[in-house]
Amino acid sequence: MCLFLISVLANSVRPPYRPKNLLNQIHFIGIRSLFVIILTAIFAGMVLALQGYYTLTRFGAEGLLGPAVALSIIRELGPVLSGLMVTGRAGSALAAELGIMRIREQIDALEVMGIAPLQFLIAPRIIAGLIALPILTVIFDVIGILGGYLIAVQLLEMSSGVYFSGIESAVVMRDIVTGLIKSVGFGLIITWVCTYKGYYAKRGAEGVSQATTSAVVLSSVFILICDYFITSILL
Amino acid sequence: MSQTSFQDISQAKQDAIPLPLGERLVRNGCVSPAQLEQALEAQSKEGHKETLIGKTLIELGYITHPALLNCLFHQLTRERVAYHLDRQAQTIIRFENVEKSLDGRKVLDNLNLEIPANKITAIIGISGGGKSVTLKHMVGLMKPDKGEVWVGDQPLGRLSTRKLNHVRRRFSMLFQEGALFDSLNVTDNVAFPLRETTRLHEEEILRRVELCLQEVNLVGMGNKYPDELSGGMRKRAALARALVTQPEIILLDEPTAGLDPIIENSIHYLICDTFMRTRYTTVFISHAVPAIFDWCHHVVVLHRGRVLASGPSLEIRNSSDPTIKQFISGDLDGPIQVI
Ligand SMILES: Nc1ncnc2c1ncn2[C@@H]1O[C@H](COP(=O)(O)OP(=O)(O)OP(=O)(O)O)[C@@H](O)[C@H]1O
Ligand SMILES: [Mg+2]
Repeated sequence: MCLFLISVLANSVRPPYRPKNLLNQIHFIGIRSLFVIILTAIFAGMVLALQGYYTLTRFGAEGLLGPAVALSIIRELGPVLSGLMVTGRAGSALAAELGIMRIREQIDALEVMGIAPLQFLIAPRIIAGLIALPILTVIFDVIGILGGYLIAVQLLEMSSGVYFSGIESAVVMRDIVTGLIKSVGFGLIITWVCTYKGYYAKRGAEGVSQATTSAVVLSSVFILICDYFITSILL
Repeated sequence: MSQTSFQDISQAKQDAIPLPLGERLVRNGCVSPAQLEQALEAQSKEGHKETLIGKTLIELGYITHPALLNCLFHQLTRERVAYHLDRQAQTIIRFENVEKSLDGRKVLDNLNLEIPANKITAIIGISGGGKSVTLKHMVGLMKPDKGEVWVGDQPLGRLSTRKLNHVRRRFSMLFQEGALFDSLNVTDNVAFPLRETTRLHEEEILRRVELCLQEVNLVGMGNKYPDELSGGMRKRAALARALVTQPEIILLDEPTAGLDPIIENSIHYLICDTFMRTRYTTVFISHAVPAIFDWCHHVVVLHRGRVLASGPSLEIRNSSDPTIKQFISGDLDGPIQVI
């Protein structure tokens, strides 16, 4: 698997470059995931605010609701949930698409034409993941915090000044960078695992379905494991 | 059969000299020299050099399509005889003791094979005999467990990826299942190899694609997607994609399987016509026995991963080997037991 990644990276720096391919993939992985990301972000933010409020009132610290919501979203939930949602939506599709190309000999056809499939098919997908995931995560963060705001200010009748000024003073650059590093890592994991599984799919429809399932499971698990390690290193 | 006189050979050679189709037609008395002159003139006016002279003659009403076809096949039939009498051809692809196991089963078993350059070679044999696997070895899609595959003077197994890609650009291949890209429509599929591996202008590419689609009878299907086509149409689209790059070696895995007899014939015509124009090496797998014996130069019979026979098509057709005889005649009774 590491060998696969290395040769993809080696292939991706070699001409010819195909920017149109890359844009298509960014569209597929990024833009088409936007809707799920927004939906998840709103509700994640809302539920965090509810739970946070319930917990914080016990300690009489409900004024800290803003920072609590923002920090957990920016440092943890934003990257992780975006990663998991993209795995479910785009990762599975990546694995299935490549798996079908494999079993229908379309990848072989590319090779016969003298076109390197790693360069043509895999590299743009992995690069698109590296670009799309951080952007999606930022969007998730913003929407999530607004979702928290909805609950805090509209439902729980906190003042919006308290909510936002708390966030402003508590969140530092380091938190944001940590979140972004995670999202880049997750972008790599998703596209790497899913393209690998699809690219080496076994024959038959069963091979493709197996590849898709294990791609989703494996990349979800990897995301959570890596999340722990990145957190413990960067904390 | 073995006593061929010198005269036979020289006559056959005379017949087999590759002439331009136009001159061949004149020589066979299908059109008059004046008519050919006129067709050539019409062509030069339009400035389309690659337009087939046959097509122009048909448009001018000097010859009918079947007559043209006849002439083509007739020519190949003669060449086939010449090749039979005097097998002179360089080898372009050579298998040397190739062994290959897939899923623990030996699919190719000590295979030795030679494909003559600039000839039409047919590979026949029973289903599951390893024909497709053999074809995949020719372009290095599968690597032999033992032995070596040579293309010209290049050993495929020992080439770097870059050199291998270089060799592969000399080939084009039609896969048994077509292998069209699902995400592209027919025009884009056929244009794909031109767009990705050449620096032609988009206009030129589209012109060639249009010509190719005309040849395989898919005009107006350009913006359909592969899953909207029938099996036969997919096959023809894939054939167009294989022919559009005008490669030096053309590999076709069952170009006519699953097609109706008329389309099958027209595909055979297309293969012959392409060959006559370019003289490029053509290798194809087919179950269309005995029709192919009439115009293929060379036939290879694969059986259980080995070459059972390989030689000029006349020789194979008249073979006394019971297995080959049974295969050609389609008898249930014989050394090959299927039920
Ligand atoms: N990728 C593969 N993995 C495992 N086994 C394979 C693979 N490709 C082919 N085989 C096996 O190799 C044998 C020969 O297959 P091949 O496709 O070459 O047959 P064929 O002569 O082309 O038959 P047909 O005329 O039906 O196309 C078959 O038994 C098949 O099961
Ligand atoms: Mg086959």
